[in-house]
Amino acid sequence: MKTRRRAGRTPLKVFLILAVKNMARYRRRTLITASAIACGVAVFAAVASVMDGFSSESDRNFIDYETGSARIVAPGYWEEREQFPLDMVVEDSSEVIAQLEQEGWRAAGRTEFRGELVIYYDPFPEDGNIPMAFAGVDPDRDPEVFRLKESIEEGRFPAAGEDELIIGRWLADRIGAEIGYGVTIMTRTKDGYYQIMDLEIVGIFNTPNPHVNRNVGYLPLDTADYYLEMEDAVTGVIIRGDERVPGSLDPAPIASLMEDRPVRVMSFSDMNKEFAEIMEMSEQITSLILMLLAVIAIVGISNTMLMAVLEREREIGMLRAMGVRNREIQWMFFFEASGIGFIGAGIGVMLGSLLMWLLVTYGIDYGEMLGDIDLGYRFGEVLYGIWSFSALIQAAITAVIVSGVVSLIPVRRMLKKQVTDCLRHS
Amino acid sequence: MITVTDLHKEYIDGESHVRALRGITMQIDKGEFLSIAGPSGSGKTTLLNLIGCIDTADSGEIILDGDTVTRKHARELVEIRRGKIGFVFQDFNLIPVLTAYENVSLTLSLMGLKETEIKARTMAILREVGLEGMEHRRPAKLSGGQQQRVAVARALVKQPLIVLADEPTANLDSATGESILQMMRGMNERWGTTFIFSTHDTMVMDYARRLCRLHDGLIESDEKRSA
Ligand SMILES: Nc1ncnc2c1ncn2[C@@H]1O[C@H](COP(=O)(O)OP(=O)(O)OP(=O)(O)O)[C@@H](O)[C@H]1O
Ligand SMILES: [Mg+2]
Repeated sequence: MKTRRRAGRTPLKVFLILAVKNMARYRRRTLITASAIACGVAVFAAVASVMDGFSSESDRNFIDYETGSARIVAPGYWEEREQFPLDMVVEDSSEVIAQLEQEGWRAAGRTEFRGELVIYYDPFPEDGNIPMAFAGVDPDRDPEVFRLKESIEEGRFPAAGEDELIIGRWLADRIGAEIGYGVTIMTRTKDGYYQIMDLEIVGIFNTPNPHVNRNVGYLPLDTADYYLEMEDAVTGVIIRGDERVPGSLDPAPIASLMEDRPVRVMSFSDMNKEFAEIMEMSEQITSLILMLLAVIAIVGISNTMLMAVLEREREIGMLRAMGVRNREIQWMFFFEASGIGFIGAGIGVMLGSLLMWLLVTYGIDYGEMLGDIDLGYRFGEVLYGIWSFSALIQAAITAVIVSGVVSLIPVRRMLKKQVTDCLRHS
Repeated sequence: MITVTDLHKEYIDGESHVRALRGITMQIDKGEFLSIAGPSGSGKTTLLNLIGCIDTADSGEIILDGDTVTRKHARELVEIRRGKIGFVFQDFNLIPVLTAYENVSLTLSLMGLKETEIKARTMAILREVGLEGMEHRRPAKLSGGQQQRVAVARALVKQPLIVLADEPTANLDSATGESILQMMRGMNERWGTTFIFSTHDTMVMDYARRLCRLHDGLIESDEKRSA
């Protein structure tokens, strides 16, 4: 590369070379500081990988087992859903679903209700009374919308018209349930009358969604319809789209299809709102951790550069006497510091990739850690990371720039000194 | 070429005021080989620093090659130093991470010269100071005398208007010091470069063509000498 001569301009290359030589001279210090930066970059990348994995898995587990991509409910139902009201329903569900299917949507009705699961000693180990949620599911259509059927671990999915129930592995283990055991559900009908259903456990499922595993039992929709006297009404019609990003389905076309019905069409983000708030909080905590990491890296590099500037005071004085401009001296140290940042970023990207690979492949098994605590998140007991190259690159670039900028603080202070004072320094 | 008029400089260090220069007036012509002599604390370094544009006077005037540098801003002084002034320090002050060659060529790189010219001039001046074959040694691998030769080469390679050397031989044994002075005088004779160096060593003063004695911040005597 040729450098053309320009009046009053010094090729910055000169200072770049000087910076590299100084980095090589103080190899130990360079490597130690770079390692600190590398740790920061790697941990940042790992945290981002887990956070992203966490949120995308949580979204997927919501969609695949609870919310679907979109949902049609009665107005006001969603706000009251924790009470499982059976008087706010979507009427004529067969018609609604037929209408949706005609337009190419995959849809299934579900009736969700609250009740008590009553079990008796023999065959169960002891008598019991478990308040929990139930859902009537359409054996034909539900597998088109949810992945519940795929997660049957033992036994089978309940069949239409039968008095059958499936429960989650977690619950089954707690109450000692086996396939073939009979249970009773005590609940109320749509009109509020007490009702008792005697059902047989025909399947045990194990989904990655712990909420479902612990708290929900499923029976055929028509069985539920019969016992609860729903008359073809359901608490929700759930729709599954082909959207690539989980939860990004646009509900507008469905809404216009449902225009004439007294229903509300909810998108995934409508349904996920509260969870998104929790997510945001945990993101804030994460960014706090990241800030802490950044501070550690900044303290490391600024310490190193402060030392570098102080011990080269005479050299700086000499350079200034030779006619090196203050700006050029600043560049020299900027190059040196961002060079250290660059090495740190390089090591950090490698280390971070390794961590990500471990997280993607093996995940973090925190199941034991949390025990039975339900945080309201929807992820399994092993939390997997996802590849987040943007986090790696973002962290690397930040490390390089921040390192360089941090170096300017001690350099500027040094340049405020008189040249003669710098030279006199011993 | 250099006109110094009624130069004053006072250092204030807390309570104590030190009047380092108390009215220096002198004229230095191109091609002089001038020694500023005087006991410790007489103001030699202070005077060289002011002429070298790395310090500012309290009052008085220095005109350097037509520029009144005492009225200039720090930004302009950098440019003057870069183009016109070469420094040689008592303790060499080479950059430890650079080789002899690089220490010298840095000066030319700062001026933005072409690579080929930088190389030719650097090699020539290193030969001149007798360091041929040692271009790739770092300062740590050079003796004191050799390091000072690199420093002289660094100061001279840009063909400055003046070379300022503050006690250039104080850290060298007398034989080595003499060889450095001989070398500088040779350059002064052949190239007409102006040298101003300070010392309190009578042997060193003997090399000077003009000897200016300072005492307590004033010129005590100023005389031309024949070689
Ligand atoms: N930065 C400073 N702050 C305070 N006093 C100073 C400073 N620099 C020099 N002096 C004082 O100014 C006076 C002249 O100092 P200067 O360094 O010019 O003397 P010098 O002739 O070079 O002495 P030496 O032979 O010891 O190098 C001395 O009394 C010195 O103590
Ligand atoms: Mg002195």
